[in-house]
Amino acid sequence: MFHVIFESTRSALVSILAHGLRSFLTTLGIVIGVASVIAVVSLTQGMSAFIGESFSSLGSNSLTIQSHTPIAEQMRGVRARLTPEDLELIERRGEGIASITPILYANRSTQVRYAAQTTFSQIMGTTYAYRDVAQSWVQRGRFIAESDNLTRRRVAVIGETVREDLALPENPVNEYVDLGGEWFKVIGLLEPKGEIMGFNQDDIVLVPYATMVSLSGNQARQDIQIQLSLSEDAEVADVTRQLTALLRNAHDLGPDEDDDFTINTPEQLMETFDTIINMVTLVIGGIVSISLLVGGIGIMNIMLVSVTERTREIGICKAIGAKRHHILAQFLIEAMLLSLLGGLIGLALGYGFGTAISSSIESFPPASIPLWAAALAMGFSAFVGILFGILPAAKAANLDPIDALRYE
Amino acid sequence: MAAKESTGPGENAPLIRLRDIAKHYEMGSQLVRALDGVSVEINRGDWVSFIGSSGSGKSTFLNILGCLDRPTRGQYFLNGAYVEELGPNQLAEIRNREIGFIFQSFNLLPRATALGNVAQPLIYRRIGYRRRREMAREALRRVGLEDRVDHLPNQLSGGQRQRVAIARALVTEPSILLADEPTGNLDSRTSADIMQLFDQLHREGQTLILVTHEEDVAGLGDRVVELLDGKIIRDRRAGEPLA
Repeated sequence: MFHVIFESTRSALVSILAHGLRSFLTTLGIVIGVASVIAVVSLTQGMSAFIGESFSSLGSNSLTIQSHTPIAEQMRGVRARLTPEDLELIERRGEGIASITPILYANRSTQVRYAAQTTFSQIMGTTYAYRDVAQSWVQRGRFIAESDNLTRRRVAVIGETVREDLALPENPVNEYVDLGGEWFKVIGLLEPKGEIMGFNQDDIVLVPYATMVSLSGNQARQDIQIQLSLSEDAEVADVTRQLTALLRNAHDLGPDEDDDFTINTPEQLMETFDTIINMVTLVIGGIVSISLLVGGIGIMNIMLVSVTERTREIGICKAIGAKRHHILAQFLIEAMLLSLLGGLIGLALGYGFGTAISSSIESFPPASIPLWAAALAMGFSAFVGILFGILPAAKAANLDPIDALRYE
Repeated sequence: MAAKESTGPGENAPLIRLRDIAKHYEMGSQLVRALDGVSVEINRGDWVSFIGSSGSGKSTFLNILGCLDRPTRGQYFLNGAYVEELGPNQLAEIRNREIGFIFQSFNLLPRATALGNVAQPLIYRRIGYRRRREMAREALRRVGLEDRVDHLPNQLSGGQRQRVAIARALVTEPSILLADEPTGNLDSRTSADIMQLFDQLHREGQTLILVTHEEDVAGLGDRVVELLDGKIIRDRRAGEPLA
C-alpha cells in the first residue's frame, strides 16, 4: 500500500510539473477559493482579537444593570423600569460593591452647541462614582463631584470628540456649551478611549445625575441604568445572584415571571460580539467555500480530459502489469496533489490579501490566521481533490487494456 | 502468482498449451468468430511465428496469448497457470511476470526517459527506485542502448525506441517475449538489426512468439504457424517451402 502511494505520488508530481501552466490553471479555482476563505477568516479573526483587547480596557470587574422588557410585553405597552429606589436599595443592601453610579441617558441624541458649532452627542447624567466604575479619567479640569450633584449644578465633562466637533480650545475648561437649550459650564475633558465596534467612547457629555433628572421632565417615567464596580474579593457570579434576588423582590416578581432587568458584564458583551463575529465568519466562509466546490469541478474536468489524453499510456501500463488500484491511485493522488498545491498557494495568497486589506483600511485590526483555519482549508482542499478525482480515476482504472492500447 | 498446479503437467510439459481456444464477438446482430478452435503447444526456448493476413484472427490470438483478453471458450495453460480462470488483477500479475510485450508502435511512455520506461514494469513488482534503475540500466545495456538511458522516446530513432521496448520486455525476465509486428514501423536495415537482436535473445534461451504478416520475418524463427479465418491452417518448420 505504502509502495503504491509512494510511487503514485512520484509519478503524479512528474505529471503535474510536466504541464506546469495547465496544472496551475487547473487548480486556480482551488487557489481562489482557499484564498477567499482565508482572507475572510483572517480579517474577522483579527477583528475578534482586536475586540477582545478593546473590552479588556473596560475593566472586567464592572456590572451594568438595565431594565429589560420582552418584545411581547412592549407590544402591550408595558415598560419595565429601573428606578432611583432600586439604586438606593442596591446601595444599601448590595454586597461586594466598590462603587456604584446611576446613569440617566437623555431620551434621544441631544444637540450640543458652542458658538457657531453644533453637534449631536450622547448625554449621560451620572455621579462622581462613574469615574471609577467606567475607568474614565479627565485629562483637563476635574470630574463631576458629589457637590455638583447635590446642588444640581449645570456643569459638564466632555469627551475629546465633542471638543473637536465644537472646535473648543485645547483646554475647554470654563467654556460654556448649550445642551438642548440649557447652558452648561465645561469643567473637565476626558482622556480619549477610542472606539469599540463603531461606538465612539469619546463622543460623550457627562452631567451631574441630579441635573439630568431635573431637566428630563416627568420623573415618574424615568428608567435609569446602574453601573457598579466590584470590590476586589467579590465574585461576579455571587454579586449577580444577590442583586438579581434583591431586584426581583423589589419588583414583586413571582417565581414564574422572568427578570424585568438584565445584569451585564463587559465579558458577556464581548462574548456576544465574539459569537456574532464567529457566526459572520462561518456564514461568509460557508458562502465562499462554495467556490472551492467549483474549483473541485474544474479539477475533475481537466482530470477527465487528462485521462482521455493518456488513455494509451494507461493501456501500456496495464499491458506491462499495472493493476486497477495502481491506475486508480495514480490519478486520485494526482487530483489530490493538484488540489493541495492550489490550497497552499491560496493560503499564502489569502493571508496576503487579508494583510493588504487590513493595513490599507485605517484603524482596522491586523489580519491573523488561526491554525485551525489553515488546517481546515488544507484538509478541505485535499478532500475536494479526492472527491472530484474519484470519477476520473475510476474511469482510468476501469479502462479495458485492449481498447486503451488501440486508442489513437 | 495465482498459479494452480493440481492437474498441472510436469517438468517436461510445454510452456504454453492452448486447447480449442475460441473468441466470438457480437457485432450488431452478427456473430463474429475471430478465433474458432485454436489448439497449439509451445515449448520453452522455442521461437514461433504466427502469420496471417489481416482479419485472420492473429490480433485476437495475440491478445489472448498476452492475457489482455480472455477466450470465449477453451483452455489456456501458461507456465503453471490456467489463465482462463484468473481475475483481472491476477491477469495483470501474469502480464507483469510472464510476458514481455513488444508492439509494432513501440508503446513507450512519452514523458518518461528510456530508463524510466524500462523501469516502469518493475514498479508493479514493488521493487525500490534504485534497484529498479539498476535493473533497467542492465536491460538497456543488453539491447545496446547504454548511452541513451536519459533520452526521451521522441529523442530516439525508431530502431532505438524498439530496443527500449525490448529492454522493457526483458527487464522482468518473462517466460515469453510476445512481439506484435515488431518491425512493422521500421525500415529494412533497422528491421534487420532488431531481428538480429531477437535471434541473439533466442540463442540465449528466451522463448519468443512473433505475430506478423511478413513471410520473411516469420521465416527467421524455428516454426511458423499460419492462421486463416480464426483457424490454424498450417504448422510447419521454418524454411519449409510454402504450399
